[in-house]
Amino acid sequence: MLSDVLEEGLIQLNLEAADWEDAIRKSAQVLLDAKKATPGYVADIIAGVHEHGPYIVITKHVALPHARPESGALTTAIGISVLKDPIVFGSEDNDPVKVLFPLVAADNTAHLNALSSLIELLSDPDFLPELIQAQSAHEVLTIVAARERKNS
Amino acid sequence: MSKIYHALVCCRAGMGSSMMLKIKVDQVISEESLPMETEHGNLDSIVGFSGDLVITMSDLTDELTQNPQVPAAIGITNIVDKNEIKQKLTAWLAKQS
Repeated sequence: MLSDVLEEGLIQLNLEAADWEDAIRKSAQVLLDAKKATPGYVADIIAGVHEHGPYIVITKHVALPHARPESGALTTAIGISVLKDPIVFGSEDNDPVKVLFPLVAADNTAHLNALSSLIELLSDPDFLPELIQAQSAHEVLTIVAARERKNS
Repeated sequence: MSKIYHALVCCRAGMGSSMMLKIKVDQVISEESLPMETEHGNLDSIVGFSGDLVITMSDLTDELTQNPQVPAAIGITNIVDKNEIKQKLTAWLAKQS
């Protein structure tokens, strides 16, 4: 479940960012601080978007910044960053981005349960509006845990 | 008639969006009983891929369709939109028979 890899310290609300690169860097900074990934991992996320376009913007208003594990993934983790103001990533269909879920996948299978839970959460149209309204990191954890209990 | 088409679901890293996309694609295949099976990988997996179709996020499809190793490519714009996935898969399947 997402709750298994989500920590209060990886959640940021009201995050201010200048542009998409800044949004990725700031959303991923907590993963660096928590030793979940190296700076090379974040650099590879940004390089990937420069190379291939905003393919990490996976659904309306949601980005999943992630990179190749060999670029510096240390421990599997997912963060949540809600931006103060939405940011344009250049995604034709899903701009602007309001919420980022920076992902570190340290091996091929450990994070599969968390991702599978996240995709179910995102499939519910009520999840994102509720998440955006949250007033604290603790409240985000509570929202995610309550929805995962309901889904399981 | 009973051919099962083989699809590779991939993204650049093969760890994030493609894993989530595979979950959704597999749900649609199962719910609609489509004659397809999927495997999962990154862009490097395309080298040596001998299946019928590559499925990715839409921003990656342009460069894929230019790749002679790619038999056919479908790009998904909204990963949670089962209707989009269903429409694109059934449209591709309809062209195969």
